[in-house]
Amino acid sequence: MAHATSRVQKHVGDPVSDQPAVSRPELEEIFKDIQSDLRYDHELNGCLNCGICTATCPAAHYYDFSPREIVQLLWTENLEGIYDAMQEKIWACAQCYTCAARCPFGNSPGGLVMLMRETAIKHNMESARNVLRPFSRVMLKLISTGNQLAPDMITRDHFPDWGPNVSKIDAPLKILRRAIPMPTLNTTATAWEVNLKTSVELYTIWEETGVLKQLETIDVNLFDVITDIMDEKREDWKDWLDEQEGEKDDD
Amino acid sequence: MATQNDPQSGGRFTGHGAEWRDAKLSPEDARIATSWVELKIDKRSMLTTKQRVEDVRDIMWQLEKDGEIVVHRVTDEHEPAIAKTLYGWEKKIPTRRLWHHKSCGQCGNIPGYPASLLWLMNRLDIEYLDETDQTSCTAWNYHGSGIGNLESLSAVFLRNFHQAYVAAKAQGLPEGYYYPLVHCGTSFGNYKEVRGYLLQSATLREKVRKILAKLGRLVDGKLLIPEEIVHYSEWLHVMRERVKTLQEIDCSHIRATVHPACHVYKMVPQDVIYDDTVLDGNRVAVTTGLMQTLGTQVIDYSTWYDCCGFGFRHIISEREFTRSFAIDRKIRVAIDEARADVMVGHDTGCITTLDKNQWIGKAAGKPVDLPVLADCQFAALVCGAHPYKIVQSHWHASSTETLMEKLGIDWQAKKAEFMAYLEEVKAGKQENLYDPRRMITSGRGFIPIASRP
Repeated sequence: MAHATSRVQKHVGDPVSDQPAVSRPELEEIFKDIQSDLRYDHELNGCLNCGICTATCPAAHYYDFSPREIVQLLWTENLEGIYDAMQEKIWACAQCYTCAARCPFGNSPGGLVMLMRETAIKHNMESARNVLRPFSRVMLKLISTGNQLAPDMITRDHFPDWGPNVSKIDAPLKILRRAIPMPTLNTTATAWEVNLKTSVELYTIWEETGVLKQLETIDVNLFDVITDIMDEKREDWKDWLDEQEGEKDDD
Repeated sequence: MATQNDPQSGGRFTGHGAEWRDAKLSPEDARIATSWVELKIDKRSMLTTKQRVEDVRDIMWQLEKDGEIVVHRVTDEHEPAIAKTLYGWEKKIPTRRLWHHKSCGQCGNIPGYPASLLWLMNRLDIEYLDETDQTSCTAWNYHGSGIGNLESLSAVFLRNFHQAYVAAKAQGLPEGYYYPLVHCGTSFGNYKEVRGYLLQSATLREKVRKILAKLGRLVDGKLLIPEEIVHYSEWLHVMRERVKTLQEIDCSHIRATVHPACHVYKMVPQDVIYDDTVLDGNRVAVTTGLMQTLGTQVIDYSTWYDCCGFGFRHIISEREFTRSFAIDRKIRVAIDEARADVMVGHDTGCITTLDKNQWIGKAAGKPVDLPVLADCQFAALVCGAHPYKIVQSHWHASSTETLMEKLGIDWQAKKAEFMAYLEEVKAGKQENLYDPRRMITSGRGFIPIASRP
């Protein structure tokens, strides 16, 4: 009789089979990527399983998630367990760093989770793609403008559970934004007006640090949209520089 | 024969099974026996009992001496105030000539947060610059999604702080004139963490130096590192007595709870301000110190150390967690235990989470109602700032009106004034806290100071 495949079997293979779902070299490659980050040795110093981190962890109240388990998996180099945790558990962490503040060893389970998330993206794990799909609005805004959040993202349609008082005054967003007494904030599509030069500088940072590559791995459609926007803005910036040169020549 | 499950056998020693026996301690002895647990939770000793960490500023000065970096100093012209951090180290908090490093969440969602801060600075005659040449720190996205890495976070940090260093040149003033003041708690924690890694890793410095060189963001070919990374709540803390001189509204009857932000005091905790006069030094001093100085009754509550439930990713895509945590672990506790009139915080995501996630409680049979404001908004309010034009309370979903009534503010009249003001705004008559021509310091739209009428 066929029986349901458990999550462990799906992601790391049947424990009594000689055929693992993920090859040993791949598991080693994933662990190597986590371990090679220069923060790794700073975030992981040892563990006595005291569980203070889990006792104080907000995500542990609500999810099948334990920072103690994350630390133990890494500390004992349990490659199958690490891989399994990367399928779901690491995305439960709320990144509050209470665990790090409390750990008697000075570990940072929250910091280690970030290394695992980066690695999940690098290896194009399905878990990362699924979990990040609803986050694409934030990534689009941030990578193309330099602002992570904008007034036009905070609407009743997007946040119906916030209730009718998301805006207590019924007026067009544009007018409400112009009524903020900081001129940099009279915007709707970005949190503040971002200088074109600033955005263009940020694009260089994204390219040089591999962030665009990460994005392409995880969401090629979003990558295409963002690179189109980047090209347009770079063209705008170049035009402005050319105008300046032209004006200088005229002088 | 005794079996393993026989409580008399002595074969098990975990103490959690059937073999468990009551130690019959007196209540006092029981309290003493478990007091260390309470200490771990409640006291500042949760941090100080650990091995002391190094002060990365020592490495910073050495690297500057070795000619590898340039340090953006807090100078006498910034009129620094000295505050003590966790281990008693001194931290210089610049009080004037400040470059506002804005928060995307505050500006996008709670605009009265930065507006109140700038309004207080205007009232205290503090010189500052609010400009367009800055990006988000990108750390919200990073902590939420994992998109980004240490190099990108470092490069963004160095780019923004370099701009703070050179920004005054647009006004014909020298480099280093303004000192960056970071508005967002996550930016603050992230920047401090990243500065530490930059100072400790030559490899990281070399990687980002190449990027910063491409951007033209080096000083004499070197990375520019700020002497201190300063959060606006630290500025408010050292300025709290001066803020009090502006106070117009008595708030001694207000029961205030403070939500200290995780990324303000749990990330790089050795850099966080503690003050023995503020709850005996057992809590981060910022915000609580201000609220005490303004005369509110600051009420402690058992889950003060919990996060708000923001979760970075969760507030977008797993809001069941965010709202459950916010209501059950923070708002309800503040109401039930502290009988709070207001919850005050000092970070972007916390204010958003705690403010916006109350209404949905009704659907789960957990109705809650607690006004939520940032510390600078509360301070501005009791110093006479307009609740709508400046504090922009209409962007808050929680019942800020209840708080205003307790403070004796006629919010309906103020709201009517604001509605009339919106008509003026429609007609192009907008009031600003500063000259808008200052906000663009280069590129399209920049007006050189000599060309300004």
